[in-house]
Amino acid sequence: MSQALPVDVDALRDEVREKYREVAVAPNATYHFHTGRAAAARCGYDAAIVDALPDRAVESFAGVANPFALRTLEPGERVVDAGSGAGFDSFVAAHQVGNAGRVVGIDMTAEMLKKSRDTADALGFAQVEFREGFLETMPIEDGWADAVISNGVINLCPDKRAVFDEIRRVLRPGGHLQFADIANGRPVPPEALRDIDLWTG
Amino acid sequence: MLEEAGFVDVRIGGKVDTFGDAEGEEKARAYEVYGYSFLANKPT
Repeated sequence: MSQALPVDVDALRDEVREKYREVAVAPNATYHFHTGRAAAARCGYDAAIVDALPDRAVESFAGVANPFALRTLEPGERVVDAGSGAGFDSFVAAHQVGNAGRVVGIDMTAEMLKKSRDTADALGFAQVEFREGFLETMPIEDGWADAVISNGVINLCPDKRAVFDEIRRVLRPGGHLQFADIANGRPVPPEALRDIDLWTG
Repeated sequence: MLEEAGFVDVRIGGKVDTFGDAEGEEKARAYEVYGYSFLANKPT
């Protein structure tokens, strides 16, 4: 069943792209959210894994919680990182699945894709790949993934049901969706939902 | 919504004060916004 969306999808994507382009190229600027190692520590990531990653793999991280908090990936698993940004969660996933696993990050922001690909090359993570795409239409075949991870991205998509339907499509039967995102305890008024600036800031 | 989309065994982790001490803290507090971890499975 389709439902009217509160904002223009293309306009919102443009705003999100611009915001996260900034995070990719100027990770140490001030944003409305935490970034980098401070954000990873706040979200409760395994410090040993984060400390082992170089700054360029961590500095543009802008997640909101820890998608590995309720389940650690198994060695050899095939993983999709929905909204992979500069690749931080994909690199954590690569550490967990090992050389026998595969991690495919999906993102729509060119600067994030370039940064994540360059970092994967620098780290020698041959099991990690980054593809351009939207969460509603991911370039992944049906039932390919053992697990889908995501961090702070689904809240930026106006049609969340479409995103969850797409994640279900790419997961194998019995596969796991493990993601982190924000949720509000008090209702957001309709006028605020229509304000694109509030979606990204 | 996860269950409506066909997922099962939905679990929610503890909250993270995502925006605490950040520029967005005031707006986050206004709507009690926190970060959470979620786990759900696609049925076999």
